[in-house]
Amino acid sequence: MKKLIWLELRKIFSKRLTQFALAVGLLLSALLAFSTWQNKYASDGAGNEGTGRTAVEIDKAVAARYSGILTDEKVQQMIAEIVPESGENGLNAIYLYQNTIQSAVSARFSDINGNWNGLRVSDLFGDESIKIGYVDGWLSTSRNMTSILVAFSFFIIMMIAPVFCGEYSGVDNIILSSKYGRTKCAEAKVIAGIMAALITTAIVLAVNLLMALAFYGSEGLDCSILFAQLTYIEGGIPFNITCGTLLVYQSVLAVTGTIGVTGITLLFSAACKNQMIALVASVAVYALPLLLPVAETSALFRLVVLLPIYHAQFVSLMSVAQMSGILLYAIWAVPAALILIAAGSIFSRRVFAGHQVS
Amino acid sequence: MELSAVNLTKRYGSKTAVNRLNVTLTNGVYGLLGANGAGKTTFMRLLCTVQRPTSGKIDLDGKNIWKLGERYRDVLGYLPQHFGYYPDFTALGFLLYVAALKGLDDRKAKKVSNKLLEEVGLSGESRRKIKTFSGGMKQRLGIAQAMLNDPYILILDEPTAGLDPKERVRFRNLISAYSKDRIVILSTHIVSDIEFIAEKIMMMKDGEIIHFGRPHEITSGIDGCVWECSVPTSRVEQYTASLNISNLRNEENGRTVLRVIADQPPVAGAVKVQPNLEDLFLYYFKGEDEQ
Ligand SMILES: Nc1ncnc2c1ncn2[C@@H]1O[C@H](COP(=O)(O)OP(=O)(O)OP(=O)(O)O)[C@@H](O)[C@H]1O
Ligand SMILES: [Mg+2]
Repeated sequence: MKKLIWLELRKIFSKRLTQFALAVGLLLSALLAFSTWQNKYASDGAGNEGTGRTAVEIDKAVAARYSGILTDEKVQQMIAEIVPESGENGLNAIYLYQNTIQSAVSARFSDINGNWNGLRVSDLFGDESIKIGYVDGWLSTSRNMTSILVAFSFFIIMMIAPVFCGEYSGVDNIILSSKYGRTKCAEAKVIAGIMAALITTAIVLAVNLLMALAFYGSEGLDCSILFAQLTYIEGGIPFNITCGTLLVYQSVLAVTGTIGVTGITLLFSAACKNQMIALVASVAVYALPLLLPVAETSALFRLVVLLPIYHAQFVSLMSVAQMSGILLYAIWAVPAALILIAAGSIFSRRVFAGHQVS
Repeated sequence: MELSAVNLTKRYGSKTAVNRLNVTLTNGVYGLLGANGAGKTTFMRLLCTVQRPTSGKIDLDGKNIWKLGERYRDVLGYLPQHFGYYPDFTALGFLLYVAALKGLDDRKAKKVSNKLLEEVGLSGESRRKIKTFSGGMKQRLGIAQAMLNDPYILILDEPTAGLDPKERVRFRNLISAYSKDRIVILSTHIVSDIEFIAEKIMMMKDGEIIHFGRPHEITSGIDGCVWECSVPTSRVEQYTASLNISNLRNEENGRTVLRVIADQPPVAGAVKVQPNLEDLFLYYFKGEDEQ
């Protein structure tokens, strides 16, 4: 059995298309991570400014001055020290961007001219204790990973679609008349398909996280995602979790998403007569939830959001509800994915075992 | 062991490809003859469990082969008429893959694969990718994979298609040596291949076996229906249009000797000759192609 799984894995990875798509996925990750890093800009308001590495250093230095739990005193201190006043170059203060901490505090605690807007920490965050610090690196990594993982799930479909129906163009004669063709071979295909999907997903995740470590260092993993610069507010997740927790969720959801989409694709791979149809059908079913006219506020959305495409697009799923502490509704993605893969495995195995050549 | 088909029927929509076929096979080499579309491939697919019969069944020693499942396929080898392969696999890699499907362990798989590659004349090409193979080379690889598990039942659908004469001879010798105490079924259009190695002939027409027996037994059915006659070469075209001719041979004196299949003497002076399998084939399948 091990031998059969190994052979099926080799078959998957020896496909040019698989190799090419994996290379593209990694290249895309690298490009996106690099250009994001390159395009970072920061100034400390005291004459130092720069992009890329310099920007990250400035951002980190500014964040270090205020790191710790966010308090009203800190807010006052930041407004006094790093929030610019408007007038200098005609722009209202709120539109000025200097660095991530300045942007985060301006967005929440200053008025249009850069003066305190009268809000207290508890007005915005209740009694949550918000740990602040340098979160920009991890948050932009997370955002990049979302795009990459969505694109990557299509790669998974491409890789898994031929697992069964690739045989229907003639090799099925030989496979199905061999001893284990209808039994262990079908099982090996399912297992190899899942393994290939998980391995490639793990590689992509690892590459992205390692690049983030290299570009931004490990600071900020224990800081809340809630005190981020303005651009991350929209679509942000309204719960007080740390960047580390966020990334753990994103990674888990990347894996569950992969498992779910593998289940769907295996199913079509066994049921469709040719690879193209299997591919198109899998993509259609996978992407369908995005087209459904279900409002984020409706009860049905809580189910729809558990479908695999929302695991990759994880912000919507993460925003549904907090159950307790760091346990979010998103955790239901795990059983959802398991159901899909169980259905896909059982169904595809049975279809292949009962397949007749034509 | 005994392999028997009982009322075996396979329909594709309204087309009946195998029609209430009954036959019992014991050890020996069986040649399956029949015109295009006679149902040979379908019959073999049913024997190999890659298709299920519409009705009827196939038993090995009284047990339904579908019920036997793995135990049946364990003793089965199959060369499909058209088979797919993985273009980027090497010949050896492909054999090792099939060997794994057949449950051979690593060591045995390697040993048997190399031996078979030698026997089909591919040992020098074992590390070449299959996509670089010629048609005949792929065919030989197909024969090798069918024999990997040393099957008791070996089913070969047109094994000699695409083989050059030298390879055909090699193949015949391979099968002759192999077939002792086994059931080997092979279909072909090259009647001479079967004449040499098949002990029994199954002649199929419209999904049924219309003749079954030793070559000389079944050709005796058309005793007196094969003639040879000498005609002027200039008129050969005229004769070929109206007669069922199995062979013609030009002589030096401007005449041609025709071998004619007919119930009555085709021309005055025609002499009866001993029918062979090719005559039999033509006797039954004359006009099939035009239909
Ligand atoms: N998958 C299929 N769907 C529909 N009809 C089919 C299918 N396969 C075979 N047939 C039909 O069944 C009949 C028998 O076909 P089969 O392939 O068994 O013939 P054959 O004797 O092997 O012919 P050949 O000598 O050309 O290989 C033919 O009329 C063919 O058209
Ligand atoms: Mg055929």
